[in-house]
Amino acid sequence: MTHPMRTGARLELKDVTKTYTGHGADKHVLDHISCIVEPGEFLSIVGPSGVGKTTLLRLLTGLTPVTSGEILLDGKKVTSPPEDLAIVLQEYTRSLMPWLTVEKNIELPLKLKKIAKDERGERVQSAIIEVGLEGNGSRYPWQLSGGMQQRVAIARALASRPRILVMDEPFASVDAQTRLDLEDLVLKVRDDFGITTLLVTHDMDEAVYLADRVLVLTGKPAHVAAEIAVPLVYPRDQVETRAHPDFGHLRGEIYQLIRGKR
Amino acid sequence: MLALLRRFLISSWLVVVLLLFWWKVSANSESYFWPPLSQIASQFKTNWLFANVADDVLPSLKNLAVGYFIGAPLALFVGAHLGLSEIAQKIFSPLVNFFRSIPGVALVPIFIMLFGIGDQSRRVSIAVAVFFPTLIATIEAVRTSDAVLLDVSRSFRFSSFQSLWRVRVPSGAPMISSGLQVSLQVGFIVMIVSEMLGAFRGLGAFTVEAQQSFMIIDMWTGIIMLGILGYIFNVIFELIEKRALRWYRGQKGLTS
Ligand SMILES: Nc1ncnc2c1ncn2[C@@H]1O[C@H](COP(=O)(O)OP(=O)(O)OP(=O)(O)O)[C@@H](O)[C@H]1O
Ligand SMILES: [Mg+2]
Repeated sequence: MTHPMRTGARLELKDVTKTYTGHGADKHVLDHISCIVEPGEFLSIVGPSGVGKTTLLRLLTGLTPVTSGEILLDGKKVTSPPEDLAIVLQEYTRSLMPWLTVEKNIELPLKLKKIAKDERGERVQSAIIEVGLEGNGSRYPWQLSGGMQQRVAIARALASRPRILVMDEPFASVDAQTRLDLEDLVLKVRDDFGITTLLVTHDMDEAVYLADRVLVLTGKPAHVAAEIAVPLVYPRDQVETRAHPDFGHLRGEIYQLIRGKR
Repeated sequence: MLALLRRFLISSWLVVVLLLFWWKVSANSESYFWPPLSQIASQFKTNWLFANVADDVLPSLKNLAVGYFIGAPLALFVGAHLGLSEIAQKIFSPLVNFFRSIPGVALVPIFIMLFGIGDQSRRVSIAVAVFFPTLIATIEAVRTSDAVLLDVSRSFRFSSFQSLWRVRVPSGAPMISSGLQVSLQVGFIVMIVSEMLGAFRGLGAFTVEAQQSFMIIDMWTGIIMLGILGYIFNVIFELIEKRALRWYRGQKGLTS
């Protein structure tokens, strides 16, 4: 079920290359990466540790400049973090403001955007409900479990009404059960709002379980080893989907790509 | 309630024991310089409860307050901006390091020369002395803000002004607060010393005058009064800090 209250953004990477310079030798990390993410699509990005996943994500969010090539969001060149984009980082303990309550954390970006008080309140409350944190609004982040903190980060991202949501290993350091819950939360969010969603992970199962398509990065410098479409039906189910024969095949294929190129 | 009482007892028994010891040992003292504590206590009551408070304590405190509330906020403002810019830091750091190594009290004679021996020179001395500890703490706090929080600020398109006052400064508040506390202590010292150098009233002036005119008991009461005031300031500061930085203690898992 989709409610296209707002439509997702279209993201295009054209021949994106990144070389880190300074501090000694130059480091060529990404080599001619091209990829198109359609509005509302869910793309997972996988690759071995250190391949350049975070780098790619920082480029396409405009946090780090590209060396060459272009990144276009709805046709507009990305040079700094765009209005319609929201980011959820891996380090949930460090990405929330510990001096603000959950509510104030979610509200801060809205406040600084000078959104009227009433509307801020509404958005904060609906984001809290969306991620299932009812009753925790006046607690502080450090009073919450890791999984709950990551929910706050997701709520904060949602409250700014993005058209594209980008996440860097957002569930890497939560326990297994919480991880499954958060995966399903992310799928629900995509469904509820039709947001284009990009998720970086090193967990191949997670990549397949969530996505319409998986982008596999390998090599030094990294290139796109494959773009693998995931034909499994939505809504997905942690037990059924993972038990589906196609799930196993896709997973195996990705495993081969990553293992083979090491 | 019981816990509070217990805490009070734990933190005060040593003071009580030492006072009793002083009282006992000095009881029959004939020494001119070490009068019996009982005499000091009764003179203290005459001097400070509350006869001379309006003349000798309140003006001092007013100077301290004026100096502190000019110097410290200014340091916060300047430090926050210096912390933001590497170039500004490079330019100003020799200057800052030069002035910070001059003890605040050494500045007093200069300001007396410039502004005379009135309250004005005392307030300026206090403001200048108070400025540096807070300045240095603020620069450091702003400079070392967590990269993740800064990425978050950028991703939400905070302006650099917004991320300075909404992210960098609050996240550095614990460090800034230590600076503010050192500033308060330095300000207190300069308040006293500035009065010892040629003031007609104020606690520092009272104490020095008592000493110079061999009114040793009065001198002792002045010193004790200074100790009590300094102690009260620290307690008040820590109470405020504890409230304002509750999040920090909570985050660090500290319970008290
Ligand atoms: N600011 C930087 N300056 C220089 N080199 C960098 C910088 N950031 C990352 N690198 C290098 O680029 C390469 C890719 O790093 P990146 O963090 O993008 O990998 P990753 O795929 O996200 O790894 P992981 O799975 O461990 O998170 C690494 O070799 C890293 O050392
Ligand atoms: Mg990474």
